[in-house]
Amino acid sequence: MRKLLAVLAALCLLAVIPGTASAAEPGQKKVVKIGVTQSVDSMNPFLAVRLVTGSIQRMIYGFLTVPDSKTLQPSPDLAESWTTSPDGLTWTFKIREAKWSDGQPITAEDAAWTFNKMITDDGAKTGNGPAVENFQSVTANGQELTIKLKAPQASMLDNPVPIMPKHVWEKVKDIGKYDAEVYPTVGSGPYVAVEHKKDQFVRLEANPDYWRGRPKIDELQLIFYDNPAASIVGLKKGDIDLIGRLNPPDFESLKGDDNIVQWNTQGRRATYLQINHGATTSDNKPIGDGHPALKDPKVRTALHHAIDKQKLVDEVQGGLAKPADGSIIPPLYKDYFWEASGDRKIGFDIAKANKILDDAGYKKGPDGIRTMPDGSRKLQFRFSIHTDTPIEDKLSEYLTGWLKEIGVALTTKRLDSSKFSEETGTTALFDIAISGWSVNPDPEEVLATHLCSRRPTASGEGGGTESFYCDPTYESLYQQQQKELDRGKRADIIKKMEERLYTDAPVIALYYPNDLEGYRKDRIASITPIPEDKGLLYGGSGYWPFYTVETVSKDGAATESGGMSTGLIAGVAAAAAVVLIGGFFVLRRRQGAADERE
Amino acid sequence: MTAALDELEQAPVRHGLLRYAATKAGGALLSIAMVIVATFFLFRLLPGDPVRALAQGRNMTPEQLDLERARLGLDKSVPEQFLQFVKQTLQFDLGVSYEYKRPVLDLIGERIGSTLLLTGTALVLAVSLGLWQGARAGWKPGSRFDKVSTAISLVLWSVPTFWLGLLLLMVFAAGIGPIPGIFPTRGSSSVDKPDGFAGVLDVGQHMVLPCLTLVAVVYAQYLLVMRSSVIDEVGQDYITTARAKGLRDDDVRRKHAVPNALLPTVTLVFMRIGFVVGGAVTVEAIFSWPGLGQLFYEAIRVPDFTLMQGTFLLITVSVIVMNTLADVVYHVLDPRVRSA
Repeated sequence: MRKLLAVLAALCLLAVIPGTASAAEPGQKKVVKIGVTQSVDSMNPFLAVRLVTGSIQRMIYGFLTVPDSKTLQPSPDLAESWTTSPDGLTWTFKIREAKWSDGQPITAEDAAWTFNKMITDDGAKTGNGPAVENFQSVTANGQELTIKLKAPQASMLDNPVPIMPKHVWEKVKDIGKYDAEVYPTVGSGPYVAVEHKKDQFVRLEANPDYWRGRPKIDELQLIFYDNPAASIVGLKKGDIDLIGRLNPPDFESLKGDDNIVQWNTQGRRATYLQINHGATTSDNKPIGDGHPALKDPKVRTALHHAIDKQKLVDEVQGGLAKPADGSIIPPLYKDYFWEASGDRKIGFDIAKANKILDDAGYKKGPDGIRTMPDGSRKLQFRFSIHTDTPIEDKLSEYLTGWLKEIGVALTTKRLDSSKFSEETGTTALFDIAISGWSVNPDPEEVLATHLCSRRPTASGEGGGTESFYCDPTYESLYQQQQKELDRGKRADIIKKMEERLYTDAPVIALYYPNDLEGYRKDRIASITPIPEDKGLLYGGSGYWPFYTVETVSKDGAATESGGMSTGLIAGVAAAAAVVLIGGFFVLRRRQGAADERE
Repeated sequence: MTAALDELEQAPVRHGLLRYAATKAGGALLSIAMVIVATFFLFRLLPGDPVRALAQGRNMTPEQLDLERARLGLDKSVPEQFLQFVKQTLQFDLGVSYEYKRPVLDLIGERIGSTLLLTGTALVLAVSLGLWQGARAGWKPGSRFDKVSTAISLVLWSVPTFWLGLLLLMVFAAGIGPIPGIFPTRGSSSVDKPDGFAGVLDVGQHMVLPCLTLVAVVYAQYLLVMRSSVIDEVGQDYITTARAKGLRDDDVRRKHAVPNALLPTVTLVFMRIGFVVGGAVTVEAIFSWPGLGQLFYEAIRVPDFTLMQGTFLLITVSVIVMNTLADVVYHVLDPRVRSA
């Protein structure tokens, strides 16, 4: 047994030493390491759906357009320029004369092949299917790409499909089953993927032939952490250089570290309440068991008056959010953001809320809870939140308190995420639910979640509604903005849609959470957010921050594998060796003594 | 004549073992069949629409949802799905993961190695440490060594794995006060893992914390079983005889008491080998160790039914197989079980 222990001890020792070995290659490579808490689902862009994979695709493939780093408006990417026919049905893109990372020329044929593959092959629809839904035909002629649409579509310039190299991908037999684990990948973005170790990391190297010019760093690594707490440790220790999408407590825990910059800026999300205002299916039949009182717009407005949004921001989000007095598009998107003002603004006013309910005939009972005007039911609502989300629990406590003051009882209902999305999105078994959406530079997607057509069918098959909303005014405004190709005019229509959602209140926007990130300033010398004035780093739109990122020059900080800890490791290893050898001799001595006793 | 006698005497034993093994194997097959059935229905009972969950909040048209359902075979009736599932499982086809869109068997194959490495090492360490400490503790029950090691192991045994793992991570990966952070915070190797021996060391370094966590929480059971069975042996006549012959105390312990006391731990060790395949879901999640446990954890988060089904099946079947093996090995090792 003692021998075994000695062997184990030796193994332990060896395990401690390697820092010294692996630090042998200091190199002059400029590397930036990003910590992510989602692993890559597929390196095949036709199949991948996860956010992290979307970010990686933005780095390694070109798209028709990319959000401008200042305005977030669509700007040229692989498409150098474009024109639209007067009826808005034919779009012609001029594809840039650039090269794939394997040296082949990029032509419109590549783009046409990509879109046509998605139109014709069900397997290729998995990732971005809806993006080509409205496409009638796609053809190529040299560098000219022509897309004919079935109906006008203003969001056409925000196409989310990465353009794939035809000469590489046409050899793939079954796109739906292809894992695309071939490196280096052939792409046209600023980086080339050179290695992917599943559930561990993706390594991207700078593309020297990138049409905009080579990125300033040599390598970008996305390193996966299953455990968010470990990623914070990783950042503090220097295992990673940047981490995004933090929640307020993790963000606060970075305070006081001189090497870390806390990045706190406006985010792309809105948090809102979804109200079951009489959910119906796509053939207008009632569905679910929502409380009848919530069908009354006056009740919904009273609820809106009873919410102190500033307090929620301060107490629930730790001040790291902006109260919402508008609808579901956050202020990050200046062009589309709408905010209520003057008389239209629904402020926190318990007295007013009580008066609205009194006037509408909802009388308070002896227990302080109101009943329906016909006395049939008490105003007792369920509030659906996700299990294991402390922030939503806290939010629920505040809402319960305020609603009690206006004679409404609220009970919290915790659901796991799949049950939650089923009850609030398909079966409508809820009264009020927490909701939220990440908004893209083109807000069409989030606006569409409130369309009649997005309600579930009678059999419960759904199209992805957010509110079971179906309103003729909203619907016609949506159609108008679809056809409006003038950006300014379209923005005006979109603002009207937001206003309609605000006053009709099928959803009540609570606040816009900030984008919370952290990065090491001893490693990252500069990084440009998107949008440039006050935007996001990781999780923004496009590759801009990681195209512009620059590392701290070598003389100061050591990068690469733990140069800092080499000495420490050697020291600890030496100490461990001393202890183990000491222990060995003590054991030997005791053995000797035992022998002597015989 | 003598040879014939020998045969006469040995034949029933051999037959007995074969029959015993066959009975056990039959029982195991029955259990596996039941597990296959249970697995199918268990995962159908879980709430949530997998197709919607897969969309991850993206909007999909009803046509697309239907297409997705058809692709996953969810458009068929439950009995049809069940027959399909049984047929595939018997052909060692665990289906295609909803989320990764790749055969579950491939995904398992990619990760089983790192799980075996981690949990296998942890098992070897936990067994060695537990048995050694247990034997010593049981030899002199009530001694200081006994008290200290039993207390330590019991404390570690009752500590929540997640908490212990995070604690080790905070202390030895991040470093606190005078303790420097020397171990990596995640994964089974560095991104820029060197080749050759240095690469092996790199993996070793990544293994220290997850391995330590696993050993800490599981070794107590070996210690306690070993301790109590050594205590049982200490009172036996053969020990007294051995001592009376004037053998050294250490020798009596190592050569007489321990081999006999080892028997009850055999089952325990084999059972654990079954769990080794399942890995340690919690430990893999804390240290982002890319193994089966992590795969299962991811599958639950999505939820990815085929992947959950596949990993669950693999884990339960390996536990059953190992249990059966344990029974048979025990039967061979311990004559008392045979006669009973």
